[in-house]
Amino acid sequence: MITRTVLVITATLFMFATTGVALAAHPDNGPGCGLGKLAWNSYAGQQSIGAQVLQSTTNGIVPSQTFGISSGTSGCTNDGTIFASEKVNVFAAVNFDNLAQEMAQGQGEHLTSLATLMGIPAEQHGVFFAMAQEKYTTLIQAGETSPKAVVKAIYSAMGSHPVLAQASSTK
Amino acid sequence: MIIHITLLCLGLFILPSVATAQDPSSTYLLQLIERADHKHLHQHRYWHLLLHYRQNFFGGYTSEVDDPGFFQASEGKNDPQAELHATLEKFFSGDLVGRSKQVAQCAFIARFQWLRAQLKFDETRLPLHHCERYEQWVNELNPASITLIFPAAFMNNPVSMFGHSFLRIDQQDQTEHTRILAYTVNYAADVPPGAGLEFAFKGMLGGYQGFFSTIPYYIKVQEYRDIENRDIWEYRLNLSPEEIHRLLMHTWEMGNAYFDYYFFKENCAYHILSLLEVANPQFHLTDQFHFWTIPADTIRLLIQQKDLVQDVSYRPAGSTNLKRKRAALQPSEQFWLEQIIQDPSYAIAPDFLKLSQPRQTFLLDLASDYLRYKGRTDSKQADEYQTKNRSILLQRSQIRVPSPAFSVAPFSLSPEQGHETARMGVGIGWRNDELFEHIDIRAVYHDLLDPNPGYTPDSQVELGALSLRHYHGRNQFRIEQFTLVNVLSLAPIDSWFRSPSWKIRMEMNTVKTRSCDLCSNGHFNVGAGGALETHVFQREVFFLMGEVDANVSGAYDENHRIGGGVSGGVVANVTENWKWLASGGYLGYFLGHRSDDIQVSVGQRWTFAKNFAFRTTFTHHDRDNELLAVFHGYF
Repeated sequence: MITRTVLVITATLFMFATTGVALAAHPDNGPGCGLGKLAWNSYAGQQSIGAQVLQSTTNGIVPSQTFGISSGTSGCTNDGTIFASEKVNVFAAVNFDNLAQEMAQGQGEHLTSLATLMGIPAEQHGVFFAMAQEKYTTLIQAGETSPKAVVKAIYSAMGSHPVLAQASSTK
Repeated sequence: MIIHITLLCLGLFILPSVATAQDPSSTYLLQLIERADHKHLHQHRYWHLLLHYRQNFFGGYTSEVDDPGFFQASEGKNDPQAELHATLEKFFSGDLVGRSKQVAQCAFIARFQWLRAQLKFDETRLPLHHCERYEQWVNELNPASITLIFPAAFMNNPVSMFGHSFLRIDQQDQTEHTRILAYTVNYAADVPPGAGLEFAFKGMLGGYQGFFSTIPYYIKVQEYRDIENRDIWEYRLNLSPEEIHRLLMHTWEMGNAYFDYYFFKENCAYHILSLLEVANPQFHLTDQFHFWTIPADTIRLLIQQKDLVQDVSYRPAGSTNLKRKRAALQPSEQFWLEQIIQDPSYAIAPDFLKLSQPRQTFLLDLASDYLRYKGRTDSKQADEYQTKNRSILLQRSQIRVPSPAFSVAPFSLSPEQGHETARMGVGIGWRNDELFEHIDIRAVYHDLLDPNPGYTPDSQVELGALSLRHYHGRNQFRIEQFTLVNVLSLAPIDSWFRSPSWKIRMEMNTVKTRSCDLCSNGHFNVGAGGALETHVFQREVFFLMGEVDANVSGAYDENHRIGGGVSGGVVANVTENWKWLASGGYLGYFLGHRSDDIQVSVGQRWTFAKNFAFRTTFTHHDRDNELLAVFHGYF
């Protein structure tokens, strides 16, 4: 019962943070951490980073222990840093609204940072921004299902792009 | 079976102490301890910095760390020498220690590296452990330089009323556009969600544990810039690679520690300074602060260190961005902006499309910024704002030109350019035709008439202020006033911003009534209302508040009076250095001593140097008139 209540609260916070993201209905229990895997089923002690990070966007407080230094591996942080495999997803989920705006504008520090995290070389950033702006509608629609899906949609859009295909295939 | 296990446990327990008697490593340990004692390493400043030892009242040393696991000796918190011996002993062991559960050489890697250099460890006799977790962590942080970050004060959260500070670990190969990917080193109290008033007390009295953490900067930027609407100041520090290395080793070590959190002294700013001292022990930073550590004061102190602060950059708050961009619009553009916000379909109206593309993008971007701001602050209609924002962004994505560059200027100078936070004043005045001399002293921080630069506009936070007077006619010395708390926040309202203005005050002051000529009075006042801004001279803010007022004094029947009323006024910057504050109010008291009170007050301040100002005030109460002139110095 308590688990259920917590689940509902967490889900509500989550939906508040990224309204329109319908992930709450489809918890992903696969490997990894954070956004796909909000550890709702095994909530007991450790809150997953995704839930904490997203709560932080509603109330402005990240429990310091989420990113505790040398705290050992917990959730999806590794001694307070984010696992390489989850960096793009965590970034995209936390900054979804900023990214949506900057994709429409075809520029911005969040978009540049996302491109960097995705391993797109600096000289191709301009091409990447233009693509994000051009495909804004498709990409954001994908983002409405889950923040992870927007990342996936960006990768697949890059895959069919003459210049960016190279950067995406190395992923 | 049970006996067997018990024996085994005993055996394990006894084994190391038996071993220390003959083991070659134990002879080496004894040699190291002897050498360390000979060199008085336990009295060395660096050892004290690493363990956060402070001299205590009795002349000994006590560590500020409160986590028992941080110390290797049971009496380590109070005994630097025992701690040093025990630490050396643990370096020989493969046991996992501390909160982080690593071997001691890695858990306390800064201690290890320092002692290794001081004592020239023989690696054949003290085998080195490979600290893989630490190396991974440093690789992930990828440090190139360190920047001190200061989000400005945030009046609507008392915890933030003095600002906050933390470090950003700038990475190799970063550009100005990817700074947000850096990790930060942040010290904060671990406060359970939903803690309200309780926080104020526990936070002041050490009721919470404070930890260091490495939150990504993009989360901090979102928290301060987007959610709390606080300007962020960034101070690039000029640290050498060795200094950065020492700082990070110690930060890693601090993963094993917590401190009892004290809002006034051992707070974020204080512990960030302690990290910088480990980076370079030549810095004497934390010992400059005795009773309280105001983040802005720590920045002033860093600026004073030779060649430390390289440059300062500014990241505007969401609300600053909106205000500056809106102010840059032509009247016709303002019209379009309002239309688009009401109904995004105006963004494809033929007349709108006649504007130049850069102006279209500027308006659409601003509309989107505004709708996102509203979505964050008005949760009831968040969906509506979001839908509108989506339509605007869709239209924006059709215009394939970059948004015009626009530099957002802050409304206040950077915090280190402000006056110092403690204040002392000497003055003279007349109260009801009686001459008096006046001295005042204030612990912290800023009132409405203090010089503006460097402080959040229209806000006042005074804690611990005392004024003394000598009245000539009766040749009497008095404690005229003691202010415990005097906080006021004015938030000018316009069509976009609608935050309340509010104030709270707890003090002892001196009143004159029909029955008592100069009586001490306990005074509590709280109020809320609204404010408006005009620009007739330079800038004026008008305010009006409803309030509750309570007094406890022998001057009143039944020794108290409680009531309510209204007050209003204007604070005006006439020139850069000249500011006025005029206010008036009516209070009716219906509990205790039934009475009423009309108050009028007019004050002006002239700043003639960053840390010197002169002010005069006239105050009128019921049957009490006073004129006061004071020179203030800030220190």
